Amino acid sequence: MHVVIINGSPRAKKFSNTDKIIQSFAKGLQSEGSTCEVYTLSNRSEWEAAWAAFMTHDKIIIALPLYVECAPSLLLEFLATLPTERRKPATLSFILQSGFAEGCQLRCGEAFLKSLPAQLGCTFGGCLLRGNNFGIRIAKEGERNKILKPYADMGRSFAQKGNFLSPEAARFVGLETFPLVLRKFIMLSYKVVGHRKFSRTATEWGCIRPLDDRPY
Amino acid sequence: MKTIILNTADNIRPAEALQAQIAAKGEDAELIDTTTMDIRHCMGCNHCFLKTPGVCAIKDDYKQILKKLAHSDSLWLVSGTRFGFLDYKGKRVMDRILPMLNMDLCFRDGEMRHTLRYGTLNVGVVYSGEGNQQLLDFWCYRSSANLGGHSLGAYSVNKIKEVKVCM
Repeated sequence: MHVVIINGSPRAKKFSNTDKIIQSFAKGLQSEGSTCEVYTLSNRSEWEAAWAAFMTHDKIIIALPLYVECAPSLLLEFLATLPTERRKPATLSFILQSGFAEGCQLRCGEAFLKSLPAQLGCTFGGCLLRGNNFGIRIAKEGERNKILKPYADMGRSFAQKGNFLSPEAARFVGLETFPLVLRKFIMLSYKVVGHRKFSRTATEWGCIRPLDDRPY
Repeated sequence: MKTIILNTADNIRPAEALQAQIAAKGEDAELIDTTTMDIRHCMGCNHCFLKTPGVCAIKDDYKQILKKLAHSDSLWLVSGTRFGFLDYKGKRVMDRILPMLNMDLCFRDGEMRHTLRYGTLNVGVVYSGEGNQQLLDFWCYRSSANLGGHSLGAYSVNKIKEVKVCM
């Protein structure tokens, strides 16, 4: 199976969490004998080739980060400006990732993505949903690999099934919401570890203002 | 109550009608026509969270919108649609709203959210074209909750008279 993967993140590839997820997913895919080609929409010079690949292949995955409850505007522009109408049938699947960990955070984006393939002349191949990915960019290698490994497993699964419609893919999202006890534990650990981690990253990035600054 | 109306649609008349409707109720509603402004896509750099808190790294016309949103109670987006959702021009002005939030996290209404940098903001949408009403209602509800506000609802331009003011 040959898969076209489009990275719909507006963030530069070097810093893109979605790109790291795609790389892990592709490793799993390739380990089962499938091949893939990846296009990165944050690089406008790749749009023409990405349009062409989108229109001419039959297995397509769009990987995207959740931006304000749905697809990033950059990806919407790419799709709205597709130069021609599809004539060849294709299966369009999605990898939707977010920073927040609860599954409920991804449902509005999922609702949109479910409606999209039919409007682009494609068949819906399912959505692989997962949150808790904000840390990929700032995590150390060991922690990052731990976050990314499950995507390699899903790459292997996709190579076998050709879609994300399996019960395994549905379970990938994890907990829909967090029970109260878990929420309390998360906030406690955030105050002890998480907040400090963000403050350290801010300092490394050259931030000289308080993180809750009100410039306007 | 201060309301900002952001027009991203080619036809500004629905936005003007909405402004008149809100003004008729004695509310302060400012209309900003973004169609002539230089507004780029959010590139997800997170500088507004972690490098220059509250300040967007993209130097374009969105800065003047952010300055107004920081002191507003409600935001109406008047947008075209594509694929049943906001078109990319409408979504683009919403994607840039991130500096309204802090990096810091909390649980609100049982879900993890960013804390608010300023006050709460209610969000509503008036859309032209073939919008998916259910999807747009859902999106309004969730986007408002992220900003600590409540949804003003999604309305087709044909039903603009049904928009509830003074929410």
